[in-house]
Amino acid sequence: MSLENLNKLVKEGETEDAKVLAQQLLQDGIDPLKMIETLTQTMARVGDLFAKLEIFLPEIMLCGEALTGVVDILSPYLDASGGREIKGKVVIGVVKGDLHEIGKNIVKLILETNGFVVKDLGYDVDSLTFIKEAEAMKADFIASSSLMTTTMPGQLEIIEILKSKGIRDQFKVVIGGAPTSQEWADKIGADLYCAHAKSAPEKFPAVLDNK
Amino acid sequence: MSTVYRHWEIIDRAKTGKFMDEEDFLPKRFYPTLKKLIKKYEIKYDPQNPCPTDDSMADRVWQAAWELFRDVGYYNTDSHRIIEVADEEIKEALYMAKDQYIVGGGKDACLMKHRSVEDPEPPFCIMSPDITVDEKYHQSMCMAYLKEPLLDGLCGPILEETFGHLIESGGPTEISGCIQHIQNQKMAARLLGRPDTFMVAVGTAEHDAGQIAVSNNEWGVQKTDARLVGSLTEFKTADTLLNRSLHYAQYGCFTGSLTGAIYGGWCGGSEGTAITTVAYSLIGLVIHGAMFNQHFPFHLNYVSNTTRELLWPIAMAGQALSRNSKLLYTSNGFANAGPMTEMLFREVAAHALVSTVTGWHLWEMASTRNKYRNRATPLEARLGCEVGHAVARQKMTREQANEIANRLLAKYEDRAADAPMGSEYHECYDVAKALPTVEHLDMFRRVKDEISQMGIDFLY
Ligand code: B12
Repeated sequence: MSLENLNKLVKEGETEDAKVLAQQLLQDGIDPLKMIETLTQTMARVGDLFAKLEIFLPEIMLCGEALTGVVDILSPYLDASGGREIKGKVVIGVVKGDLHEIGKNIVKLILETNGFVVKDLGYDVDSLTFIKEAEAMKADFIASSSLMTTTMPGQLEIIEILKSKGIRDQFKVVIGGAPTSQEWADKIGADLYCAHAKSAPEKFPAVLDNK
Repeated sequence: MSTVYRHWEIIDRAKTGKFMDEEDFLPKRFYPTLKKLIKKYEIKYDPQNPCPTDDSMADRVWQAAWELFRDVGYYNTDSHRIIEVADEEIKEALYMAKDQYIVGGGKDACLMKHRSVEDPEPPFCIMSPDITVDEKYHQSMCMAYLKEPLLDGLCGPILEETFGHLIESGGPTEISGCIQHIQNQKMAARLLGRPDTFMVAVGTAEHDAGQIAVSNNEWGVQKTDARLVGSLTEFKTADTLLNRSLHYAQYGCFTGSLTGAIYGGWCGGSEGTAITTVAYSLIGLVIHGAMFNQHFPFHLNYVSNTTRELLWPIAMAGQALSRNSKLLYTSNGFANAGPMTEMLFREVAAHALVSTVTGWHLWEMASTRNKYRNRATPLEARLGCEVGHAVARQKMTREQANEIANRLLAKYEDRAADAPMGSEYHECYDVAKALPTVEHLDMFRRVKDEISQMGIDFLY
């Protein structure tokens, strides 16, 4: 029983077996931080496979769940050794009037499997709800998806309400969705635009650095 | 008769059915059931044969789809409850379903009837750009489609602006945009002399209110027309959608169920996409009382369905539905490439070819990944429908279609990820006259010649 096996179980989405093995490895004295590092690399590889559709959404999802399961087991020990790095807290949702949720779901999954804590607000979400939820969670990011030109104004509205409430600088505002663009992000004053989910884990921390 | 007599019971079940957290529905209920059924029924994707001929597998896909619907149910995201149906209800609905309808009115009326695999009767051809266009091109584009000889039904382009106002989802501009949409479309049909052409309208309606606002037998969507009700991917609905199917039935027009199973998403691969597509036809019939099902399975990354991993499920689903039911269903093409590119013409040809020989009606053609404003034209739809008519009339077999599909795929498949975007409508159409430019028509003819040499006997 080794780290390699743990990797394999996580990759195959075998949450329960992976948890048992993680427990055992801990008892054998394997460094929990090392386990997390290895698993994070595995997750990144799984992410690449998904980006090329060599594996499909349910598989990466199961894999993400197994990773979360293992992280739960390891967390108490990690806290002792300095804790696991959380890359950021995100509220995400699809703006008001819009029922297109597939892209948002993928972004959520990719962020979660890359060390972000994500609160999913679903679709057809009122602008103010994004903000209230972000405040409640003390989020770093407010991320919104819009798939229709007719709902893109919702992304602007989020920023306008943040300004009206005088809390614009408390959050980084990220936008995405097929009809959106860097140009639209610039126009409405969003902090970040991502054309693809796969670029999100790299781009999010970059804007946080200049917070 | 459609199955709308069940509507009230269905609506009840959306309130009283089994509770489930939305987060759990797909990973814990839909996907495990689908996975189990793929295994149980030994469904296996065969990349060599984009147009497979395995009758027994087609029948197993049907069985798997039936069980998928029965065992998973349909989730209402507003009530968080599952609408479940019993075998008996599915059987009853299939018995009650009509295998043909006359749609459109007067001299423009057309018959849409169930097709068999390798049916010598040509498919019913609905043409649609499936995209948004600038307000200034909207009427011209409606007219350009209506000028297509093989058009049996029109689903017009979608508006993003109405008289200088950006349409905002759910607001008054949406209502106005919807009225403008149907009036442009009807006006074009009248001017052209096909006033009662069958229409599927209006795509500009994002909400139930927008659809309801255009139900008017004099100036709006008529009872001889159809409307669509979508599903949320996969197997989910919401009150705003159930409102639509009920309204369509009460108003008295035809209902079409709009679904796109996603390859790479919760359906997994080609096998799951085929089964889910067939199950959606049952959902459309039993839940929404649909008289036809409009399917656009697509690739999660490309948002297209002309590569082999999507042609195979389209072919399988068509055969499963054709052999086991008398339902009506349209195959909606989604291409990677944009207008006035050879690649787009080849893509639409492959899509129409495979769909036609496997029992589908046609709905052509979303171009440029269905993503960019003004990037679709009637000419690609024309080629698809000409292919459909030709292969039906020449009684093409699935084996022959498979061979031609492979030859077409060889010409474009490797460009799926970086397909050319081509031109916008006004760059390859004379907007004032609503006709293709000479250059565009030349390209159409050139590719048509090439395809004809592969063995398709075009009728003219
Ligand atoms: C599937 C689909 C549907 C499904 C949606 C199912 C569901 N539950 O999501 C159904 C059938 C329900 C549907 C309905 C409608 N649709 Co629709 N639909 C599409 C389609 C074909 C694909 C969208 C998709 O899922 N793509 C796949 C995902 C993975 O891609 P994505 O969303 O772009 O996300 C990626 C990136 O953009 C990014 N991303 C996305 N969000 C975010 C957010 C953040 C923060 C970040 C960082 C990144 C990011 O990451 C993702 C992965 O890389 C698009 C066309 C298109 N090509 O986009 C039309 C489209 C969006 N639909 C359209 C329309 C008009 C409609 C309807 C009005 C049709 C009708 N009349 O009923 C209704 C609207 C209902 C409503 N009120 O929302 C139009 C919108 C036009 C416009 N005005 O802009 C489009 C563009 C088609 C077109 N060209 O006309 N639709």
